[in-house]
Amino acid sequence: MNGFGILKGLWITLRHFFDTYLSEFGRNRKKLPLDDQRGMVNSPGLFTIQYPEEVLAAPEEFRVIPFLVYEAGDYDQRKYRCTSCGICAKVCPTQCIYITRKKDAETGKPIPSPEEFYIDTDKCMNCGFCAEFCPFDAIKMNHDFELATYERGETHIFNKEKLGKPVEYYAKIRPVNYALEVAEKAEKAEKSTAA
Amino acid sequence: MAENDLNNPEIDIPDELKQQIAVTTLDRIYNWSRSNSLWPMMFGLACCAIEMICTAASRYDLSRFGMEVMRPSPRQADVMIVSGTVTKKMVPQIVRLYNQMSEPKYVIAMGACASGGGPFKEGYNVVPGVDKFIPVDVYVAGCPPTPQALLHGLITLQKKIEGEHIPDTRWYKKGEVEALPIPILGPDLMDPRHFELIREETHKPLPVVDVIIEGGETA
Repeated sequence: MNGFGILKGLWITLRHFFDTYLSEFGRNRKKLPLDDQRGMVNSPGLFTIQYPEEVLAAPEEFRVIPFLVYEAGDYDQRKYRCTSCGICAKVCPTQCIYITRKKDAETGKPIPSPEEFYIDTDKCMNCGFCAEFCPFDAIKMNHDFELATYERGETHIFNKEKLGKPVEYYAKIRPVNYALEVAEKAEKAEKSTAA
Repeated sequence: MAENDLNNPEIDIPDELKQQIAVTTLDRIYNWSRSNSLWPMMFGLACCAIEMICTAASRYDLSRFGMEVMRPSPRQADVMIVSGTVTKKMVPQIVRLYNQMSEPKYVIAMGACASGGGPFKEGYNVVPGVDKFIPVDVYVAGCPPTPQALLHGLITLQKKIEGEHIPDTRWYKKGEVEALPIPILGPDLMDPRHFELIREETHKPLPVVDVIIEGGETA
């Protein structure tokens, strides 16, 4: 029927309008407490997010600048998962990653660990290719978007220390991905012990 | 700025007068009123502009911070949000708009492209950062920054304004502030200050080259 599509579309707008009030009056309140509801991406109704006080909960696949995952070693040492293979630097469409490999001071042989790791955030376009292609799950996309600065010369090139985040942080911001990763690793370990 | 900072200029007020009088400094009250009425200029360049529009709309609502209205005229705007890729063709217009803004004026470079060229940094038609042409106060990273990230940038700018000291700022000093030179788009961007040099170089006579023809004389 002609014109039916318009009515359907308008109904969606109207429903959102009603949801604004209905969610306050308890139609949806039974399902979720109001505070949680407002923070969700798909929360019903129209409302203003009171940003500095209230932050919209980021969906799990939200991407900003990548970070390097490390495991805490002895004496607060950071054991980076990165092996400096350079795949992320190769797939990066904007070529914003710069890595050099660590070398043994005595023998001069390469060690699978990054000596330097820089990301130029002025070039990074948050595509997430580095995280997708990394075979060691060493680089992941961060959720932290509060990156405004007064100058860009020093602060916009992130070094290894600034990029490093513990595994616990990764598990916190991406729980589903982390659980999958752990399960996959356990499966692999089981196979290798069986074989 | 918290309310405490505004009326607490390290002057002791007797307890019995605390409810009746408020003491503040000129800097603080002036910067406080100024930072809470920043009007952005209404212009967008690329995909970051979509996020800027979203920030101004009711979901994130810029006007909560006193950035009440987007002004389409540079004369009425206080802050310029350079939202998006700055191409070489657009630079002259941006610098012109910046010159036309009345002081005090601030610039926010929104997103990777405006702050440093972004993915197009080494491209033939994009400027590697708008700060090569106009002074930028706050850089907001992200590609594009979410509305919340832009709000964070605007709050950072407010903090900067609140920290300003009137005699130190550029536009309250004696003498006129010169307008920025507007680059001209030729085969590449040309700075008008370099015209003499360009003319000198291009008007030089071509160098004479001796060509030796095999088995003959010099031509």
